[in-house]
Amino acid sequence: MAIETSKGIIGKPVPRPYRPPSTQAFIPEIMKGMRVTMKHFFRNTKEVALSQRPDPTMESLEEGVTTVSYPEQKRPYPERFRGLHRLTLREDGSPRCVACLCCSTACPAQCIHIVPAEYAEGDKRRGYERFPDQFVIDELRCIFCGFCVEACPCDAIRMDTGQHAAPYDSRDQFIFRKDLLMAAKGRDGSRQSENPRHEPGDPTHPGVDREHH
Amino acid sequence: MDGYFFLFTGLKILVVLLFIINTAAILTWGERRQSAMIQDRIGPNRAVIYLPSVVLKGLVVVVSALVAAGLANYGRLASLRPERVRLDAGFALTELLVLLGWMTIIGVRSLERKRGGGILSRSIPDARLVFFIGLAIHAAVAVLRANVTGEERTPNGLANALFHYVGPFLTPAAVLGLGIFALTNIPRGKVGIRLGGMLHALADGAKMAFKEDFIPTNADRLLHSLGPLIALFPAFVVFAVIPFGDTLCIHPDTSGHFWADLFNARIGDVGGAYSPYVARYGICSEGAVPLQVANLNVGILYMFALAGTGIIGAAIAGWSSDNKFSLLGGLRASSQMVSYEVAMGLSLVGAFMTYGTVRFDDMVRWQSENAWGIFVQPFAFFLFLAASIAENKRVPFDAPEGESEIVAGYYLEYSGFKFGMFMFGEYIELAISSAVLVTVFFGGYALPFLHRDGITLELGETVYYHLALSHRLVIVLGVLTFFLKTWITCWVQLFIRWTIPRFRYDQIMKLGWRFLLPSALVNIVGTGTVLLLIDAAGPALSRTLDVVADASQGLVLVLGVVGIVTLVSGVLAPPRKHGRSASSSAKFAEAAGGTRTTPMQA
Repeated sequence: MAIETSKGIIGKPVPRPYRPPSTQAFIPEIMKGMRVTMKHFFRNTKEVALSQRPDPTMESLEEGVTTVSYPEQKRPYPERFRGLHRLTLREDGSPRCVACLCCSTACPAQCIHIVPAEYAEGDKRRGYERFPDQFVIDELRCIFCGFCVEACPCDAIRMDTGQHAAPYDSRDQFIFRKDLLMAAKGRDGSRQSENPRHEPGDPTHPGVDREHH
Repeated sequence: MDGYFFLFTGLKILVVLLFIINTAAILTWGERRQSAMIQDRIGPNRAVIYLPSVVLKGLVVVVSALVAAGLANYGRLASLRPERVRLDAGFALTELLVLLGWMTIIGVRSLERKRGGGILSRSIPDARLVFFIGLAIHAAVAVLRANVTGEERTPNGLANALFHYVGPFLTPAAVLGLGIFALTNIPRGKVGIRLGGMLHALADGAKMAFKEDFIPTNADRLLHSLGPLIALFPAFVVFAVIPFGDTLCIHPDTSGHFWADLFNARIGDVGGAYSPYVARYGICSEGAVPLQVANLNVGILYMFALAGTGIIGAAIAGWSSDNKFSLLGGLRASSQMVSYEVAMGLSLVGAFMTYGTVRFDDMVRWQSENAWGIFVQPFAFFLFLAASIAENKRVPFDAPEGESEIVAGYYLEYSGFKFGMFMFGEYIELAISSAVLVTVFFGGYALPFLHRDGITLELGETVYYHLALSHRLVIVLGVLTFFLKTWITCWVQLFIRWTIPRFRYDQIMKLGWRFLLPSALVNIVGTGTVLLLIDAAGPALSRTLDVVADASQGLVLVLGVVGIVTLVSGVLAPPRKHGRSASSSAKFAEAAGGTRTTPMQA
């Protein structure tokens, strides 16, 4: 706030804070600062040299050197991390996917391309469900939102591989086809899912068919 | 001037150059790695050389075999000499054995703890216990050696066994055994050699040499290329007058062959009969090789003259770059260096008055006889420290190269090797200023109570203990002491850099002219007054001052020993416990055995 006088506006005088001579001389402050730096220095040098560093993931937010020397050390991703996709399998090795196109419809990036195909004539499942002839995901377009996993009614597509999209050299390498998606394993190593799949003719679930009763 | 003079001068230049360049390289490494330690991160460590583990194992075996052979030969040669020399050699080997012993126990214990369980890790709760017991055994062996005079050929039982047999035979075997034990701990496959980040610093230096070297379009081509040279040159040549050791008395043989005479030269005193020991006072009349490159009689004035030359380099570099920021940086550099040059010179005048000389080697001799410079001139030490940090344009006085203000200041338009010369030159200046600090204030190459004839524990007039050490050993200890003190002082200067923020330019100028210069003058007046009072007081005060000076040497010795013991026991302290995080990635990491998938390659 300026002060108005007869000579015009002059600035408001700001009082200088009083600093005792020891603070003004700055040397005690230098000593205090050096104490902090030396403490960090000796503790960290000892821990790094003797491999006693806190583990950056298990003891996060610790004081000390918690640098992750990637790629020799890696932080594991959290449990619900959405990584590359995989198609889960039934017991006989075929994909659980029934080509309902829910995932490709729900995908905001439109990175899933499915070509459905009918089962052969005489197959129990014909008319009841389809299978994907082609199932292609462009991982480069994928935004890893997980809508496809939420949309799938059959727990057929999952994003629990725990791997991020590697930095490939060209766009073609990011196009994952059905065989690659079926070959991927989840974090626990399995390719099937714990959700049971009841095929038609299963006595425990008598309504799983399309017979008109 | 015979051929030996040129040979020795060349060797001295080589030693000095090697020391400076290696110190500057180590400081570059330290600047990046150790400053990272303060910021709780690891510095750059990506540069790596992969050696097949076979090569590494072979290297370890060969090195340990060579060392063992050298130690065995040392013991064998000593057994042919007089009893005193034999006992000294046996004593040294036995102490080495004790050192290897406790270090091996601690190493094996920590290896067992990493692998979970083992005899040593269960029975020894704390590694520091082993260290202190090892120190006690060291002291016991030393006391045993001190009680044996060396007159009779076969001393009594325990000393005989230790110094004649255990030391010379067991120590080489222990070294070889340790080498073979180390073989089992080298991992298979390829081993990445990082040298603690030094390879990365080396790689950066090599990169600097191979980068494109350009001169700006409208720049003055000659001056642009000349700037780094003029800035770097004084930094190197100042070391010519700094003594890195005491005067060596070496007497080559007189058979006429140059190299054979040198090989058979005798180090020690040849007045009369040859003796490996020299007298405490005085320097041998012939064969004296002062361990300074040039024994100038102007001494420190040579250093001031050359530091003034360095100013021109910064100014030329700033002006010739055709860049406003460089010009600003060059102006700041030259005015800052000029102002602190005056303060630097005046702050040392008090030291000249006290030591009575401007020559470095006489200063060190005064300090080894009396007290170290920091006790005699403490105020001048701080003034000179501040002035020399400002002279070298190091943080907190690095306004000329203030990165956040004028990008890089006067070396903005430099790249490649010329930039490397500026950077390297800054670290060389750091090493030089540390060497000067050590020589003037920290006793140079002198250790407390160590003189040319050996160790003499005395307080004023009374001598409590005297141990004669050979001239060769005294010289080697002096040189090693000087290098170690210079490194420690460099480290302290690096620490100041990591701690203090940059001063504003007007604050720098005000500090130089309005505080340092008047304080230096006050210091001169005060020192002069005190000296005149001491002279006028008489011999009683002189004797008291002698006692106080020797007490200060004792204080330095005690502080040094306490410092080393504290450092080692701090390193051996058990690791601190860490808290556990509850996130799911932590659970995954724990299931995988931690984030360390390979041995920590920091």
